[in-house]
Amino acid sequence: MHYQLLPLLSILILMFHAFTLPLYKRKKMVYRNNLIVAAMVFIMSAVSLYFVAQNGSYVFDIGHYYQPIGIAFRIGSIEALIAVLFSFVYGSIIWHSTTNLAHEISESKISTYYTLSTLLLASLLGIVYTYDIFTGFVFLEVNTLASCGLIAIKDTKESIKATLKYMILSSLSSGLVLLGIAFLYAITGHLSIPFIHEQLVIQASSHQNLVLISIILFTFGVAIKAALFPLHVWLPDAYTSAPTTTSAILSSIVNKAPIFFLIKIFYMVYGFKIIQASHILPVLLTMGAIAMIMGSLFARTQKELKRMIAYSSVAQMGYIFLGIGLGNALGLTMAIYQIFAHSLTKSTLFLTVGAIIEKTGFKTIEDIKGIGKKMPITLAIFTLCGLSMVGIPVLPGFINKWNLAIASIQMGKLGLLIIILASSLLNATYYFPIIINGYFGESKLDATVFDTKSKNVRELAPLFVLAFAIFIVGLFSGTLIELIQKDFFTLK
Amino acid sequence: MDFILLLAPILLPLIGSLCIASPKIMPEKWVKPAVAIMVFTNLGLVTAANLYAGGEFLHLFRVNQFIDIFLKLDQFGRLFSYMASVLWVIASFYSFEYMKHEGRERRFFTFYIMTLSMIIGLSYSGNLLTLYFFYELITLTTFPLVIHLNTEVALQIGRKYITYSFVGAAFVMIGMVLLYSATGSTKFYGGGIDGLLNYPNEQLLLFSYLSMFIGFGVKAAVVPLHAWLPASMIAPTPVSALLHAVAVVKSGIFALTRITYYIYGSEVVKAVHADQILIPFAILSIVMGSLIAMSQYHLKRRLAYSTIAQLGYITLGILMLNPYALLGALLHMINHAVIKINLFFGVGAITYMTEKKYVRQIGGLGKKMPMTFICFSIAAISLIGIPPTNGFVSKWFLGLGALKSGNIGYAMILLFGALLTASYLLPIIVMAFFTNSKDKVTVDDVQLDPPKMMMIPIFILTGMTVLLGLYPNPVIEFIQVIVTEVF
Repeated sequence: MHYQLLPLLSILILMFHAFTLPLYKRKKMVYRNNLIVAAMVFIMSAVSLYFVAQNGSYVFDIGHYYQPIGIAFRIGSIEALIAVLFSFVYGSIIWHSTTNLAHEISESKISTYYTLSTLLLASLLGIVYTYDIFTGFVFLEVNTLASCGLIAIKDTKESIKATLKYMILSSLSSGLVLLGIAFLYAITGHLSIPFIHEQLVIQASSHQNLVLISIILFTFGVAIKAALFPLHVWLPDAYTSAPTTTSAILSSIVNKAPIFFLIKIFYMVYGFKIIQASHILPVLLTMGAIAMIMGSLFARTQKELKRMIAYSSVAQMGYIFLGIGLGNALGLTMAIYQIFAHSLTKSTLFLTVGAIIEKTGFKTIEDIKGIGKKMPITLAIFTLCGLSMVGIPVLPGFINKWNLAIASIQMGKLGLLIIILASSLLNATYYFPIIINGYFGESKLDATVFDTKSKNVRELAPLFVLAFAIFIVGLFSGTLIELIQKDFFTLK
Repeated sequence: MDFILLLAPILLPLIGSLCIASPKIMPEKWVKPAVAIMVFTNLGLVTAANLYAGGEFLHLFRVNQFIDIFLKLDQFGRLFSYMASVLWVIASFYSFEYMKHEGRERRFFTFYIMTLSMIIGLSYSGNLLTLYFFYELITLTTFPLVIHLNTEVALQIGRKYITYSFVGAAFVMIGMVLLYSATGSTKFYGGGIDGLLNYPNEQLLLFSYLSMFIGFGVKAAVVPLHAWLPASMIAPTPVSALLHAVAVVKSGIFALTRITYYIYGSEVVKAVHADQILIPFAILSIVMGSLIAMSQYHLKRRLAYSTIAQLGYITLGILMLNPYALLGALLHMINHAVIKINLFFGVGAITYMTEKKYVRQIGGLGKKMPMTFICFSIAAISLIGIPPTNGFVSKWFLGLGALKSGNIGYAMILLFGALLTASYLLPIIVMAFFTNSKDKVTVDDVQLDPPKMMMIPIFILTGMTVLLGLYPNPVIEFIQVIVTEVF
């Protein structure tokens, strides 16, 4: 078989699976086939990564219609890596959801839920692979709708409210992106990325303002979806009110795909020169830095556990924008590395927190003091993620911060060092109290008896897998960064 | 082979501590014997490593040129690992008895042993990043020991401790990034990294050095970064003795020596005038620490401030940048460790036997606890710097270093410091031996010296104090190797 087929095939399988899911009669079949499909997609992405790493990037025309008319995928080592990451994180979350989803939403909705989540993954992979911007837009829309469904599925007052908020802002974001596409089409007459780029290089100087407007439209369109600081308002509500599985999926992979799309647009559509000339990078840098600080400051004041982690996401997304905004090779590499680090860490955090909330029934930080005595392993995994956020060497958070610091020095921006470190200290101020009170605090939970033995292993296994992946991403960050940079230089 | 030799003393206590943590693996009655076996085995492993391991770089793993965790054994690492593992053995036996009185022994010994692992890791670190890694872990593993009481106050103090440490670590990080951008390496070389002397941007070097000094200075309790240390006295006495007088604060000193002599080198530090900026703070530590110690009536707090002052001596010795001063500083690092543990153990014995914690309460106790107070007095005399004890030897070399540096003021400070030391330690002894107890109720001939398990460690430490004073040459020769390596 041709390995070039794998990316398309994985998306087709997901689509097909999504629409046949409601036909299964038995719940067991739903769970099982779902897992099988997730595993298949993961394996296919991994195989595809292997070949890409060996043979280099390629463009795949779908259905033998060649560009600019046909649709095409471009798969380089970054795309393949991110696909592996997404399918891995998705698979682990879905695996974990088999044990707890039924507690959070009604039985009848489980098939619908998985249909939506499968569609979501398909659309995310589409965004990652796409080589023309309109297909990217279509997948973004699918992604928005599926996420709305996943948030609203609980059918409570809060979740509907959060969904509406999310939907309105996401529509705004899609609108901006679509406008951006329209501008580009008006200038160049193309939708396919390489053709736009070719035209832009020739015509950019004669349409400076139009190009600038389109860049701004794309940036802010994506910034809403990626919850860049002042545009993050949908995020805490959505993450808090949704089921744990949804929060984990949304925080880890859904908000990463648009950012990657933005990187693609920046460096494949416009190219480094035009982006540099547009002065959008310093804006992203500033906003990223503000997000890093403000996200953490907001997180500190939260009383609800899930909300706190949601705000911490805002801070972590700031790192990605900071990396992009630095505008050098290392900065961009670290932005992509942070996609890996944050996806794994944040999904693990949400799953552990979800497990704690489910077991105890308490939602606030105050109430779960002493949880470490009841759920030591779950809290240990939480601790690992917290340490990574704070920046203990070797864990991904440290590697990210270190390299960002180096990148800032390379660009001569020493002030950023202070922001990066302040942000990591702020992270410590809200993760450590939970860990400390969890293990050493006076317990309020002594009276509550809950069953920790049953299905313990089944619940913990996906968490272990994720925690292990966090270690791997930290330990083998050299290889990972090399792979990212290998493709990055062909991007430029 | 080298790999195993160096990793064994780090991994064994780590695994051991995890075993102690679980009641399933380690039943209650096995905890103490296991701890005893572990500290002795560890001492053996450290000895083996120090004698037989070569000085090559042993990469644990390597991500890229910078993120590269590896171990390397050198003379300074040998010194520090020996000091830690010997004192750990002594303190363990004291803790066996003492911790009966505090409870939660399993938790205590878990983190107690875990910290040992981190300290050995710190001493065998081959570059700054590895050192930073273990330095952070020391904060995390000692934190549960600080909040051992688990009260609201203890947790608050724990927060203070962890805040100071992490802010310090952030400063270290800034310095490290800047240094790396200048040199592309953070490996330790005796005498400093080559080519740093000709580095064009002096401001950057100065800034990164100062930033790291502030960061590591937190643990070395340099005034004004010292506030966590007296507060941490809420921890059980063995913790105050071993960690807050030896392991944790000396890890700060260790790191300061590493950056000064193994990263920058004395020439560079002198060239960027960092010593002139920092020496006032070292002097401030000596004077302030001693003066505040005089005004403290809580015994442990008085000793804590005394620690700050003595660490000031060591920092001053490091910063005077000449061979004698460094020799004196490293000698004092060892000698102060032995003396201060002894003093703390004495105070711990008083608290354990009589529940007394303040200077005014101990009137007449000298007659009831003669052995304890005799040992306490010898340690106190040594700390003041009177021969034939070890404190005299290290202060002698520090004094020589001060004269060598050409600044008579430093020597005056040393003398003045000794005077102050006398003025806060002697009143305790006078109070104990020469005043009468206010408690008329207690019968005079009751012996209150603590049980053997606590008394023997105190005797051993007192013996070491005197022996190191009478026969200092082996240690001096040992340290001389380090000094010739870096100058």
